[in-house]
Amino acid sequence: METSEKLAPVTHKMSAAIAVRDMDFYYGSNRALKDITVNIPKNQVTAFIGPSGCGKSTLLRCINRMNDEIPGTKVTKGKIYVNDIDIYARNIDVVKLRAEVGMVFQKSNPFPRSIYENVAFGPKLQGERQKSVLDETVERSLRAAALWDEVKDRLHESGYGLSGGQQQRLCIARTIAVNPKIILMDEPCSALDPIATAKVEELIWELRESYTFVIVTHSMQQASRISDRTAFFYLGELIEFDDTVKMFSNPSNKRTEEYISGRFG
Amino acid sequence: MNGSHIFKDFDNAIRTLKDEVLLMASLTRQNLQRAMSALLNRDIELARAVIGDDSEVDELERKVDQTGMDILVRHHPVASDLRLVISSMKMAINLERISDHAVNIAKRAKKICKGPELEDLALTEPLYTLADSLLRDAMTSFTDCNVPLAEGLKMRDKDLDRMHKALIASLSSRLEEPNGKSESLLHLIFVIRSLERVGDLSVNIGEDAVYLGDARDIRHGHRNETKDPPPTT
Repeated sequence: METSEKLAPVTHKMSAAIAVRDMDFYYGSNRALKDITVNIPKNQVTAFIGPSGCGKSTLLRCINRMNDEIPGTKVTKGKIYVNDIDIYARNIDVVKLRAEVGMVFQKSNPFPRSIYENVAFGPKLQGERQKSVLDETVERSLRAAALWDEVKDRLHESGYGLSGGQQQRLCIARTIAVNPKIILMDEPCSALDPIATAKVEELIWELRESYTFVIVTHSMQQASRISDRTAFFYLGELIEFDDTVKMFSNPSNKRTEEYISGRFG
Repeated sequence: MNGSHIFKDFDNAIRTLKDEVLLMASLTRQNLQRAMSALLNRDIELARAVIGDDSEVDELERKVDQTGMDILVRHHPVASDLRLVISSMKMAINLERISDHAVNIAKRAKKICKGPELEDLALTEPLYTLADSLLRDAMTSFTDCNVPLAEGLKMRDKDLDRMHKALIASLSSRLEEPNGKSESLLHLIFVIRSLERVGDLSVNIGEDAVYLGDARDIRHGHRNETKDPPPTT
């Protein structure tokens, strides 16, 4: 793996939001991730790029243990630290982990409920019952997701009535509502038109002052537009991890150059 | 082009690029003005200052290139944004060359100052006035996307070429006069040559302004009239 910076020693306290160390991951007998070591910095956008099957989404799902839900999968070696805590340790509460590490998916997936209920769902699940607190949380989250002005007069209408781009921003608001530190995004704009994509991208760029983003994307243009750092994966290996402008103007690895310039993949 | 981008950071980057080009243009013009002032007033200290200050323009050229490159890599500009980035980077090259000519003039001024009085110095003033007006209008045409102003520069530069040719012929004919001024006259010929080049480079900037405003390539007499004009709104 090539990078412009030296990684901190393994197992020491990390200043990174997410620190992956020597990690292997298997789907059955298929070794999907190989010796992955990477520091993902706080309050920045990190993009994962690479051809299909390279392991980028697998690693993303490891960060909030979403892969636990897939039978036959296993982290066989290495560790992932989220804010210095080993998330694969035995005493980890996975539900709490997923509140701290939120996720937005490729296809917007609002619940079949009102806009208000979609956003209030997480806080209610965490035990919040006070209406004034829920109202405040819903407004704050919708404002943060740049959706408040568009929906404030129809909060109790179905989330399904929103456009695709608005639904995706509703999902971001829903994620924000439970105060995560990290937001994982798996191709969040692939189903959106260019204008809706630009709005979501602007939102990510603005919100990175408050959250750490990790975004999997097939769009190299999107990675170069909205990320501070980019990681290129190929056949389960992290090939290169560097500053995004550096990566897209002068990559260190030949395979990175070939992939980002459209010579393979 | 008016109107903001949805992605605000793109606007910030474009604004930075424009600011850097404007600052570079203003420093370049100032360097030229100071170089001529050093020559006409026999001010060696000012000439030295012009030579020293050229590094600021060089640094800005690097900055414009870096900012332009970053915009190309990050934001993948299209249409008027793409033309702005490309023409800004080209304008920076022309401005840097103009500033180099200001340095050349300052260097010649230093040498002329060390020689005998030279009444012919005043002959450069009309050339400088015209070259400076070409540079000023080239910059205005670029910043205001004023295509007619930009297209008029080439014709005006022909006046500068004529003045340059006539003055060079006049001074060259006196080079062999036994009055001890030959060396200073030779330096003055180089000053006049630099002013003529400032005109040419200003025309280049105007050509980039036409490309920026109208998406037409008018270099080397090429009209490129078949291309549809860009949208006006």
